[in-house]
Amino acid sequence: MTKPDNTIIKETKYIAIMIFIFSIIMELVFLILSKWDITVLYGNLLGALAMILNFYFMGIGVQKALGKDEKDAQKILKGSLSLRTFFLFVTVALGAWLKCFSTIAVIIPMFFPRIAVAMRPLWKSKNEGGMNS
Amino acid sequence: MLEIAIGIILGCCALGAGTAMIAGIGPGIGEGNAVAKACEAIGRQPECKGDVTTTMLMGCAIAETTGLYALVIAILLIFVAPDLLVEVLKANI
Repeated sequence: MTKPDNTIIKETKYIAIMIFIFSIIMELVFLILSKWDITVLYGNLLGALAMILNFYFMGIGVQKALGKDEKDAQKILKGSLSLRTFFLFVTVALGAWLKCFSTIAVIIPMFFPRIAVAMRPLWKSKNEGGMNS
Repeated sequence: MLEIAIGIILGCCALGAGTAMIAGIGPGIGEGNAVAKACEAIGRQPECKGDVTTTMLMGCAIAETTGLYALVIAILLIFVAPDLLVEVLKANI
């Protein structure tokens, strides 16, 4: 098995932290709307874990592809994407199928990495500003 | 008659889910191209490997979002929509 690069570990940590923060916000919203029960928590855990793993495996795929030539890199990434999409499908299908998970709480964390990436420049500029001052 | 209507609903949901997943082709091509160009860039400037990898990881995460939206739509059409639509149908008969 390939040893993950430091960059991948760093970025996965960032995504995991952001997903954790957004998950807390989501749980609070469910609480405020009086829709919270234990299935929401389980669903949230399942969705969040799947998305963190998805990002990590994407990083591993990218790392593997970087050492190859262009054609092989494309093939590796396409294969990695297919496998990860299948993995996500199985995870969400499990969340929808089993009654112990709230379907909506499994689906919502799938959008958290996108928000985390969108907020990345803010995080980065804040850190850089902190270092400069 | 009711069985035929339910069959049509299930068939349309499955067709819709399959059609939604066409959007999954885009991220595959996009990510493949991004990595191919990143390989080229690292080949030209190997000292920038860390920066290129970080930027590309973020780019890949963004590119993948459209595929995720399609996946969510497909899953909702497969697991949630049929029950809801059949309930609506039964309520209206």
